[in-house]
Amino acid sequence: MTPDEDRRQFLKLGSLVAAGGLLAGKSAAQQPPSAAGPPVPMAGSHAGHESAPQPQIPADSDVKAEYDGFSRFKPSRGNDPDSEFYLGKRVPGFRSVEAGPAPFEAPDLTKLPWKMVNGAKEFHLVPMAVEREFLPGYKMNVYGYNDTMPGPTIEVNQGDRVRIIVTNELPESTTVHWHGFELPVQYDGSETLTQNPIEPGKSFVYEFDIHEEGTFFYHAHVPMQEAFGSVGWFIVHPRKVFDPPVDRDFGLIFQNFFIEPNQTIADSWRMDWNWHTINGRSGPYTTPLVVKHGERVRVRLMNFAPMQHHPIHLHGHTFWVTGHEGARAPKTAWIPRNNVLVGIAQATDFEFVANNPGDWMFHCHMVHHMMNHMTRQVGPRIRKNVSVDQYLANTATRPPVDASRDDPGFATPGYPQEMKSMNMSDSMMETIWNRREVQGMRAMWPMSIMGLMTALRVLPEDLYHKVMETDEPVDKGSVFEEIVRRFGNPDDYEPGKMKMMPGMKM
Amino acid sequence: MKCKHSRIRKLLTLALSASASMASAQQAHFSDGSARSMTMPADRRVLPESELPPLPEVPTGFFDSGLSETANQSSYTLDYLLQLAAANNPTIRQARRQISGETAKALQAGLYPNPILMYVGEKINSDGSAGEFQGFEIQQRFVTANKLQLSRLKYRQRAQVAEHLAIAQQYRVSNDIQKHFYQTLAASERLDMRRELLKTAEDTSVTARELYNQGQTTLPGIRRANIDLQQHRLDLLNAENEFAEAFRKLTAVIGCDISLGYIDGNLRPQRALPTFDAVYAELIDNSPEVLAARAKLAADHTAVRRESVQWVPDIVVQGGPGYNFSNYDPVYNASVRLELPIYDRNQGTILQARNDLARQREEIRRIELLLRERLAMAYRTYATSLQHATEYEGVIIPERQRAYEELLQSYKENRVDWPEILDAQTALFTARLQQIDQFRDVRIQETLIDGFLLEGGLMAAESSTPPGHIDSVPKPR
Repeated sequence: MTPDEDRRQFLKLGSLVAAGGLLAGKSAAQQPPSAAGPPVPMAGSHAGHESAPQPQIPADSDVKAEYDGFSRFKPSRGNDPDSEFYLGKRVPGFRSVEAGPAPFEAPDLTKLPWKMVNGAKEFHLVPMAVEREFLPGYKMNVYGYNDTMPGPTIEVNQGDRVRIIVTNELPESTTVHWHGFELPVQYDGSETLTQNPIEPGKSFVYEFDIHEEGTFFYHAHVPMQEAFGSVGWFIVHPRKVFDPPVDRDFGLIFQNFFIEPNQTIADSWRMDWNWHTINGRSGPYTTPLVVKHGERVRVRLMNFAPMQHHPIHLHGHTFWVTGHEGARAPKTAWIPRNNVLVGIAQATDFEFVANNPGDWMFHCHMVHHMMNHMTRQVGPRIRKNVSVDQYLANTATRPPVDASRDDPGFATPGYPQEMKSMNMSDSMMETIWNRREVQGMRAMWPMSIMGLMTALRVLPEDLYHKVMETDEPVDKGSVFEEIVRRFGNPDDYEPGKMKMMPGMKM
Repeated sequence: MKCKHSRIRKLLTLALSASASMASAQQAHFSDGSARSMTMPADRRVLPESELPPLPEVPTGFFDSGLSETANQSSYTLDYLLQLAAANNPTIRQARRQISGETAKALQAGLYPNPILMYVGEKINSDGSAGEFQGFEIQQRFVTANKLQLSRLKYRQRAQVAEHLAIAQQYRVSNDIQKHFYQTLAASERLDMRRELLKTAEDTSVTARELYNQGQTTLPGIRRANIDLQQHRLDLLNAENEFAEAFRKLTAVIGCDISLGYIDGNLRPQRALPTFDAVYAELIDNSPEVLAARAKLAADHTAVRRESVQWVPDIVVQGGPGYNFSNYDPVYNASVRLELPIYDRNQGTILQARNDLARQREEIRRIELLLRERLAMAYRTYATSLQHATEYEGVIIPERQRAYEELLQSYKENRVDWPEILDAQTALFTARLQQIDQFRDVRIQETLIDGFLLEGGLMAAESSTPPGHIDSVPKPR
């Protein structure tokens, strides 16, 4: 059993009381919680809030719920923009500095193992063609490393010496560039300029000392291989843990590909891109970032799109941009944002205190990046009583067309001009739902998380435990409804429709 | 060719209903947009339909009124049409008359010369008498050297030539019927396919309007769609006219008027022809044209024999009773005449006959080579059409169909645009249209090759005697 599994098993056994059957059903959500702990005052109370478990500081942490008017448990700004704690700027997470860096977590990606050999951390990296399931059932043929795209995360500490043995299993030559490292030039990975390309079947050993800290990545230094997905994280934890300490350290690699419908291979020559992935998955198959209410969160977001920048927007929170891939910025240079433009081959570090419970969109704001295979809304899908099945039933002939434009919408220029995502089959929906990270989200939420989108889930401790640390069934919408009940206005809330595919006529 | 009739029997057993309805595709569902009912009040509309270029009117100019005859919905099989042609095509009767004509010549050529009865008055007024001879004589030519038998034989042989030519004429008619049958059948199927393509063009027009409403095409885009629509309407009219032409040609070869109707048959070939060499060998063995030429060679042989004995003098015997008015006694005259072939031994005509014979040998060779030349073209067309038809049947149509279905499925899953479907649909129906032409060409060439490459069912039946032949002499011999 892996350490993660050990921990999960331990939590399952040890937290039954804390869970308290809170989410057994809607009716159960109305029952008084059984979680114990000091209550935290809530602003703007609504009826029913009093019966909900209140946010609390873990017993083993000495942080506070409020710093200079900024509360880690409710949306707040603080008292003074010049305060160190304005918008939670230096509000620490529950984790102490002494506990070391928070574990880096790149959802849906693996980590590259290493072993000490002759005083260096030795990694084996294998560039290769891989299959990656962007969405359930959509298996794309891309380039990556060690059977995954993006490649596995290389994670080291500042001051380490690393040796990376790259064995090329691609059918073409490659090199690996260690993006951002100040290393001896012969290991820079610039093809021909600094080294001969690594031919298929051959190996090359890169070895250098790491004196940097921060967010880095590696990638093939062959442009078309980059467009095919040859990239991976290279995270360097600082010798001196960044202050304030974070509880969560997420990594998200945003990528774009152009892949024709009915095709699985990217066309790297295209200037437009119609498939969008976060850590190799496309929304709604991207795995939400699930955090506990009040935690300090870091998100390292890297844009490895071939041609396009991404304006990244996080709902419900104001985050601090604490640095880019070059280095962590001094705190005087941090800026608060709701939306930040991340350029190609840039990594941006966001930090914020998750003080607003709920399921929040975290996405590229480019309209065309919010879906895949965007199609124009003409033809049967906007014609009354017309189905593509009629056409499929008999291909020897075709149904006649009704030329009358009698839908009142046609009186409005631009109607209907919406983006339709791919149709989601029951099996696809089942795969998307079959993850703990999405349990309890509103019914039909997958219809809103498309393309270059994911979700940040800020859950109260008990709900987090229920969702992430147990195997108990969680009804669709129940977690969200409970959050609304505790922190919103349940009287105005209308649950998601349990089974409602958009009324597409196809 | 022996396989021909069995093939026709097979054809009779097949029934492919070919729609010959003249109803245009747009009449069923495609309106011109004037009869729509908008539920939104007119004053709230911000994009009035009137701002769009109007859909073009359905062509209203000249219309072939004869096309409405299909309302009778008669159905015709190939066998029935062949029977009609056998009874009504004038060239078949002409060919029979050619045989009878040659037979009559044979009769005439073999007839024995008639005796000549003469009244003779000689030396009238000799010694003041009425004449030394006044009386009746009879003259009879005795034909020698079997001249009459040879003449009759020659014309009987020419009658055989005419019989071969009559068979050829029957093939010409039969081939033309089959050719026009398949052309009409193909025209009927093309008509159906044109209706499908028109429906797709109508959809393209509607789609252009939808795209316009979404800012994804421009007014010129709508106009292009209008042009495309009108061209498809004209293509449909053209297909209707082609059907009418094919059917009318068919009825012309048949030789009687029948109303436009369905053609009941199968355009798809059922078998493949043998190799070129095998087909050619059978052609020069059995082609009525070759057989006629060979029969003509036999007749020319006889002509040489006939002309070779022409110099043999006939014996002309003449005599009869009379009265001698000089001597006042009954007398008799008698003579025997014989032409002495000193200068004219018919050598020029014999030479001409021999040249005719030699020419006929070359004629046989010429016909064989002409058949080879025609077969080469027909076989090439057949092979190309069959190769195309086979590949269209086995690969291109199924691939187009699958591509169309995959795109439909993708559209259903919101992955491709509708215009892409329309393109795939057009490509599929166009490929089917091309396949119809290929099947038609295969059938036509198959018919011609099976039918000894004979065509021209309304050309006058050929004579067994080529122009400028020795038969220019007045008395057939």
